[in-house]
Amino acid sequence: MNAELFGSQVNVWVDALVRVLIIVGMMTVVVMGLIWFERKIIGRFQMRLGPTRTGPFGLLQSVADGLKLVAKEDVRPKNADPWVFELAPYFVFVPTFLMFVAVPFAFGFQVRVLELGLFYVLAVSSVSIVGWVMAGWGSDNRYAMLGALRAAAQAISYELPLVMAMIAVAMVAGTLNLQEIVLGQSRLPNIVLQPLPAFIFFTATLAELNRTPFDIPVGESEVVGGPFVEYSGIRWSMFFLAEYAAMFILALLGSAIFLGGWAWPMGEQWGASWQLLLTTVKAGAFIFLIFWVRSTLPRMRVDQLMGFSWKVLLPFGFAQIMVNGFILVNGWPAVTSGVLLGTTSLAGLFAVGWIVQRSVSRPRPRPVMMARSEAAQ
Amino acid sequence: MKGLLRSMGVTLSAFMRKPVTREFPETHRELPERDRAFPLLLWDFEQTEPFCTGCHACERACPVECMTVLMKDNPNHKSAGGDSTRRKIIDKFWIDYGRCMRCNICVEVCNFDAIAMNNTWSGHEMSVYDRADLVQDLPQLLSESRGGELKAWRAP
Amino acid sequence: MTTTTPGQEFETQDLMINMGPQHPATHGVFRMVLQVDGEIVRDLIPHIGYMHRGAEKLAETMDFRQGIGYMDRTEYLAQFNAELSYVMAVEKLAGLEVPERAQWIRMILCELNRLSSHFMFTGAFGTDIGVFGTAFVYSFRERETILDLFEEITGDRLMYAYFRPGGLAWEVTDNFERRVGEVLKSARQGIKDMDGLLTENEIFRARTQNIGIISAADAIDWGCTGPVLRASGVPLDLRKTEPYLRYAEVDFDVPVGQVGDTYDRWLVRIEEMRQSVRIIEQCMAKLQPGPIMPERMPRMLRTPPGEVYLRTEAPRGEFGVYMVSKGGNRPHRLKVRSSCFANLQALKDMAIGSYVADAVAILGSLDIVLCEVDR
Repeated sequence: MNAELFGSQVNVWVDALVRVLIIVGMMTVVVMGLIWFERKIIGRFQMRLGPTRTGPFGLLQSVADGLKLVAKEDVRPKNADPWVFELAPYFVFVPTFLMFVAVPFAFGFQVRVLELGLFYVLAVSSVSIVGWVMAGWGSDNRYAMLGALRAAAQAISYELPLVMAMIAVAMVAGTLNLQEIVLGQSRLPNIVLQPLPAFIFFTATLAELNRTPFDIPVGESEVVGGPFVEYSGIRWSMFFLAEYAAMFILALLGSAIFLGGWAWPMGEQWGASWQLLLTTVKAGAFIFLIFWVRSTLPRMRVDQLMGFSWKVLLPFGFAQIMVNGFILVNGWPAVTSGVLLGTTSLAGLFAVGWIVQRSVSRPRPRPVMMARSEAAQ
Repeated sequence: MKGLLRSMGVTLSAFMRKPVTREFPETHRELPERDRAFPLLLWDFEQTEPFCTGCHACERACPVECMTVLMKDNPNHKSAGGDSTRRKIIDKFWIDYGRCMRCNICVEVCNFDAIAMNNTWSGHEMSVYDRADLVQDLPQLLSESRGGELKAWRAP
Repeated sequence: MTTTTPGQEFETQDLMINMGPQHPATHGVFRMVLQVDGEIVRDLIPHIGYMHRGAEKLAETMDFRQGIGYMDRTEYLAQFNAELSYVMAVEKLAGLEVPERAQWIRMILCELNRLSSHFMFTGAFGTDIGVFGTAFVYSFRERETILDLFEEITGDRLMYAYFRPGGLAWEVTDNFERRVGEVLKSARQGIKDMDGLLTENEIFRARTQNIGIISAADAIDWGCTGPVLRASGVPLDLRKTEPYLRYAEVDFDVPVGQVGDTYDRWLVRIEEMRQSVRIIEQCMAKLQPGPIMPERMPRMLRTPPGEVYLRTEAPRGEFGVYMVSKGGNRPHRLKVRSSCFANLQALKDMAIGSYVADAVAILGSLDIVLCEVDR
């Protein structure tokens, strides 16, 4: 059995090994870059400088952090369940990297072109929650336990809107193959046709990644790090690595299915390097948005988070699918159905915004002012 | 959603502003003249001896009792053949910076203007590995003033 | 603690969670034990006393000037206000008349201190609610400019020891007016930033509205004062009701909440910051040159025997000093009436039945200073 790798025929196992090594190596570098990027960006949002000490512009900060984490003592609490505690990082780490297999970078430039790529990514991404719950349970710590249960509830709630958003896109694209979804957007990115699913996808991504405003499983001021509270050193850094790797992958995915990946606006005729650059820029914008949200918004509460998912995002996701179906089943010309899709979806997005605003508004949010005579009584 | 967008706008405007960070060990903020770090003894350059006569006023006034003062007869006094007008002079002086609460009372009670609060960065960067090192003796207390760099501030 | 719900065949048990004294959300060394059923707080047991230093007792062994430093350390976020209560109590005992200029300067510094303290609240509360440091850093930027001004005047960033019985320790700097103008300008920007960052934010409102409600009657029963009481709708502000210094001569409003929840406490504090800016501007207009200490001050202040209770409106509420003197240069008995201590008592009432995350938010909205609680 032979497979094609960089234009030459090699054994499939060698091929697989080489690809895995490339992924792990690349992801480690990317994650380090992302951590540095996040610290710099959030620093600027907070009018700070971010890391400046290690290397030029603090570029080596992640290396220094990594070295420190590797050198740190790997502590296991006395009452922890040894197997569950030790294995948990792998259950988070491995599924995250498996997601990478189907993600498109450029035309023909991905690990595997899977026919059910979208489905595969979704299926694999939900495995890592097992690792979170294992970490929370195995640590024998109450904060960790609370965090793990929060994480499980959150993952279940937000998996569904994520699926709904992706189904809506798949309906428009007519395929689950990620490469073809991207190719189909060479003239118009999906975000124009499907703004509501794009919003749902972004929200659900934040929840999947446990990032603000959905960082309740790891909420620093409540459960002090959640499931990771007992982890240290290399094990903790595996969670960390997986978190950022997942962020990068979901950003790539988001840019592929909503922003047109490498295809929009130049189509497929441009070279692979341009396409790569385009993908990176779009994913970078996506990640920048995540950082921006992180540095701005407060954390939601666990019941509000559930309510938002089940009462707002999920019904709207269903509605979008139904509307898509009603429009697409007629087989109208592309322009007609495109305009209809875009307007209905945008209306849905505004409806979500209105509901969110409505749910918290109070008649008079400003305090009453008491002048001197009234106050003196 | 309007409020969320407004929040995002605020952070974006901050993103465009200049960072306010000072990179501390390299760039030191200029300290105001009145800055109070830790009390120091002043050096009388005319008589080449400390101003302090060891009168115990500061020791008695100190709320946290961080000072220990011992006085002696001035060997440089006129009666002993020297040219100083100080009959008594400080013999030994310890201030435990670990106890000092920098309240400025010792400076206010001093009748000889012999003690002042350090208003340079050397008074702030005083971390040591052992608390015992925070107990300063007479030469250490005088060294800043003897070096001539200290411009002590006095309340008008 | 063990409860069996009808129709449920297995027993469930509430989980006890210990928060603090080294928990990031407990504002110092406050410890609370939460009994949670899932995410819902069923019981809350506060433990205080980790910061007890005996500051009141210590100050009884000191003369009146030495005691000022301990007041700074009692209320380390509103030091001028704490000093003010103490020195005014001494002044009342000794019958000292404070010169006008000193009073105006005291007012300006106290209001600036209120600003810096409320900035500390906005930042810390933002962090409690879960803003990743942004609110904290914005607040601290403004607080820092205010502290810079305090350092220029008093020489220290936190422990000022600047107010003295009778007046002020020394004159303010020559460029005082210009610097206050600069600080106010940046403070206005800071208030705008904090207001824009959180007040209208839907998530923030969802997190704070209708959380930790305390009714006006309950707030009065618990002895709450300051923004916590005013958020419940009671317009009690000592600057208005029993004006001290020159507060009767300036014009300002007292913001009052309507519901008494966490959000109202936030709004009241934000509005108080605006009012503080207003007060400072009026004070600056009325500031005239003059003496800052009475003509004849004894070298060692002695008071006639007597007792006095003096309260002022500190940023967190009523900061009262009860002082008994038997004659001599030191108080025979000193008792600090701490607003935080009283406000903290209401926490249990507010937090039971809410979520764990709400308990943190409610604690943050009380804006306690543990040093003042434990003294």
